[in-house]
Order: sequence, then C-alpha cells, then structure tokens
Amino acid sequence: MPRAYRYLMFLSPVIFMIAFVVGPIMIMIAVSFWQRQGFAVVPAFQLDAYAEFLGGVRTAVLSRTLTTAFFATALSLLVAYPIAYYLARMSRPKVVRIVLMLLTIPFLINYIIRNFAWAYLLVRTGPVNMMLMQLGLTDGPVDRLLYSTFSVYVGLLASYMPFMVFPLWLSLSRIDGRLLEASYMLGASPVKTFLRVTLPLSMPGLFAAVIFGFVGMLGESAVPLVLGGAGYELMGNTITSAMNVLNYPLAAAMSTVTVLLMVVLIAMWYFLTDIRTFLGQIMGRE
Amino acid sequence: MVNDSKIARIAFVTLLFLVLVFLYGPLLQPILVSLSATGQIDSGMTFTTRWYSEMIQNQMIGRSLWTSVVAAFLTAIIAPLLALIAALAIREFRAKRAIILLMILPLFIPPVTMGLASAFFLKLLGIPSSLLTIVLVQVIWALPFAFLVIVTVMASFNTIYLEAAYMSGANRWRAFVDVELPAILPGISGAAIFSGIIAFNETIRTTMVQGPYNTIQTYIWSTFLQVGLSPQLFAVMASLILITVAMVLVMVGISLSRPAADVR
Repeated sequence: MPRAYRYLMFLSPVIFMIAFVVGPIMIMIAVSFWQRQGFAVVPAFQLDAYAEFLGGVRTAVLSRTLTTAFFATALSLLVAYPIAYYLARMSRPKVVRIVLMLLTIPFLINYIIRNFAWAYLLVRTGPVNMMLMQLGLTDGPVDRLLYSTFSVYVGLLASYMPFMVFPLWLSLSRIDGRLLEASYMLGASPVKTFLRVTLPLSMPGLFAAVIFGFVGMLGESAVPLVLGGAGYELMGNTITSAMNVLNYPLAAAMSTVTVLLMVVLIAMWYFLTDIRTFLGQIMGRE
Repeated sequence: MVNDSKIARIAFVTLLFLVLVFLYGPLLQPILVSLSATGQIDSGMTFTTRWYSEMIQNQMIGRSLWTSVVAAFLTAIIAPLLALIAALAIREFRAKRAIILLMILPLFIPPVTMGLASAFFLKLLGIPSSLLTIVLVQVIWALPFAFLVIVTVMASFNTIYLEAAYMSGANRWRAFVDVELPAILPGISGAAIFSGIIAFNETIRTTMVQGPYNTIQTYIWSTFLQVGLSPQLFAVMASLILITVAMVLVMVGISLSRPAADVR
C-alpha cells in the first residue's frame, strides 16, 4: 500500500472527528456572532447574542447554572471518590469488575428515563412522600421534593455520578502501593498520606471526572425540564428554548460559553496534570 | 497493600449499597407502573398487561423502535471500526496524546451543544435530516466509549507476538489479521455492543437532527413535551430498560468467554 493511503487509513478516525465534531463546533461558534434578520440568520460579526445572554435576565440563568453544576459536581465527587478509592485498593479483581459493571448498567440506561422515574417517585403524592409520612418523619407531604433545587440535584447526581467513578478508579488504581507504605513508614498519618500522596497522584483522574461531570451538567437540558419543572431555567434548557423560537445566535452563544469552559478545563487537565499516568493505565505500558 | 480498618470497610460497603439503591431503585418504577391497572403504584394494585398490548398496537411506537434498532445496529458497526483504526493509529504515530484527546473529546461536550453544532453543520452543508444524520450523532457519542474499550483490550495484548509473526515472514496486514485480531476480537465485539447500547439510549443529540424521523427515545421525549407521560409510555420505558439490561448481559457473556484475549 502506498504510504499516503496508509496514512489516510490510519488517520480516518482523526479526520472523522475533525470533520464532524471540531468543524461543527467551529461553525456553531461562528453562528454565535451572526445577525438575526426576522426569522433568518445572516453571517456577520457582532456580539448581540452575547449581550442578550450576559446582559439581560439570563445572567441569573448563567450564575444559577454555574453554581448548580459546581455543587452537583462536588457532591458527585464526594460519593464517587470514596467508591473509586476503595475499589482501587481491593485485591480481588473479580469483585472490582462486578462493582464497576453494576455502576455501568444504570449509566447505559437512558438517563432521561431514569429522570422520569425520579419525577414520579418525588411527586407530592408519590412513594417517597408516602414513605416519609409512614416513617413519621413528616406530618404532611413535603411539597418541594419535586420541582425544586433538591430534585434537580438528585437528577444530576443520578445522571453523571456513576460514570465519574471510572476515571477516578483508573487513576487511583495506578498508584503504586509502595508509595503509601513509604509514607506510613516515614511517620505520616493516614490523613496526611492521603492529602500529600494519594490525592495529588489521583489528580489526572479527578480532573477527567470533573470535566465530564461539570461540563455535562453545565449543558444539561433534560434534568431541569423533567425535575426542575416549569420556569426552572438552567443553561441547557434555555438553549433549547432559544432554539424553539429560532434564535439561533443566542443558542449558539450559550453553547459557545460551555465549549469555552470545556476547552479551558481540558487545557488545564492537559498541561497541569500528568495525564500520561492516566492514559498509561488505559494503554498499558508506555 | 496497607490494611484497611474494619470501620472503613463497613463505611465503604454501606456507601456502595446506598449508591446502588439510589441508581437501581428508580428503575423499578416504570416497570411497576406499566403493570398496574390504574397506572399508579399503591398497596391495592391490580396487575394488567393492558398498557403493553396498547403499546404493541401503537404503530408510531413500532416505527420508532425500528428506526432505533437500525440506527443502533449501524452505530455498532461504524463506531468500533473507527475506534479500532484509531487505536492502531496510536501505535503508528507519535502524537499519541493528541489523538487520544481528540477521540474522547465528545465525552466532554454536553448533548445539547453537540446536537446544536451538528444541526448547524448539516444545515450549512444542505444535508437533509435522515437516518444517516441520526447515525452520525450517535456514532460521535459512542466512539469515545468504543475507543476506550478497544485501546484497553489492545494494551493487554503483548506486541511481541507481532514481532514473532514478522520474523516468520508475515507482512503487517497478515500479522494483524492472523495474530492480533483473534486475540482482541472479544474486546471489539464488546465495544460493538457497548456502542449499540449507547446509541439505542441516546435522546438529546438525536432530537436536534432527527427531522421527521423518530427513534423510540425521541418518541418518548417528544410525547412527554407535548402531552406528558402515560402508563403506555411507562410500558415503553420498562421495555427499553429490560432490552438494555439484556444487551449488557450479552456483552458480559462475551467478555467472560475470552480465552484468546489472555495471551500475554
């Protein structure tokens, strides 16, 4: 096979990604600068969409989305990290595989279906309220279980947390146990060992989990619709409602902001942490 | 390995148990509602298969399911193929990290954003919505997962066997097809099923490029947005949950029967 053909074959997935992922994202960024004329959009370079997004009432949407994504990511980490940590220290690979599989199955089942289920469970007359009343924890049904910040957090955690275990586990299981033993032998307490040895060494995985969780939640559109209820606006469903009224530049501008944040986080991941340890775990020896 | 205290172990098992209840508990809800005569879960529930027979008679559901199956099938072929080539490319080129980052990039792009970008892209090029545009966004979403699965499996294959093949006179193609491919085949079929499951369960990206076509997931989503949920819709959801779990079991079955992949 001539050299050029061989390169073309090997690079076909790269070309695919550039053509159908990077390219469309670039186009979307371009559209965010375009001008609306009636129902049409014409190429231009103006910042109207950004002014509309960052100037008006939508600033509140942006700040609410950032806070929600931040705290929901932090909560997910608080759950996912201990699980990944313990899994990485487990000596029986069979058990580890079973647990990882158990975490994968819910992730694979459409998360929107799972959010519908949560909406049903959390509604005023639903099973969760019934249980709370039967246990005598509340006198009457709790009104704000569904269509509240609480239910949105439940939905975000259920949707994003299971997968966050994976990069964390990859990173943590890569840590050489002898380093921990050395730390103990040098007199460090378990807490200090964790903070000075384990945590820094797990940063590549932690970063990957944070990017997946935070950026995903930032653009999440189904959870606020299903579990937030009418009027609960996060950036994701604001993007779809802008689309529905054909305000393409605004939808593009809001999406561009999520992409921008993603790029910044990935750049930090790439340059600040040693992702070789992380990728090395995937690729075997390097 | 440093021994963990008993308390730590109990705390871990408790946390894991609670997380699994949190993740699996809600899955029972659509199943129970779909079997309940009143469409409600309560203590005096009577069972019925009414919603399922209504579901089967609904032609919209049948048609959407067919679209879903075809799209998932095509994704299950295209995504692992591209993933395999990408995994080989990592061995071939020096820009390993850049290739990996590019291949897993869609993991970090929110569904709405990717769907929106794809919609703009297709509109600009004048490509009408079709089954193929649905497959395109589903391949984009499945590819990172297929890639990670295949790269992991290929990492457990010792390349010294390839060198042995070269020394026995095989060219690169023959060495790959005769020596490496049989060893990594379970991984590739695993990646194929994984891609199929991912595609079968995709909603938001698909809604942006579906045009007049519905997959079963976008059918549920648009019915929810227009008229809300019904017991019949919960019957669809319960079926989708069971189909997905069945596909996972097939995938696990394949990965357990992996005699060849353990060549080291």
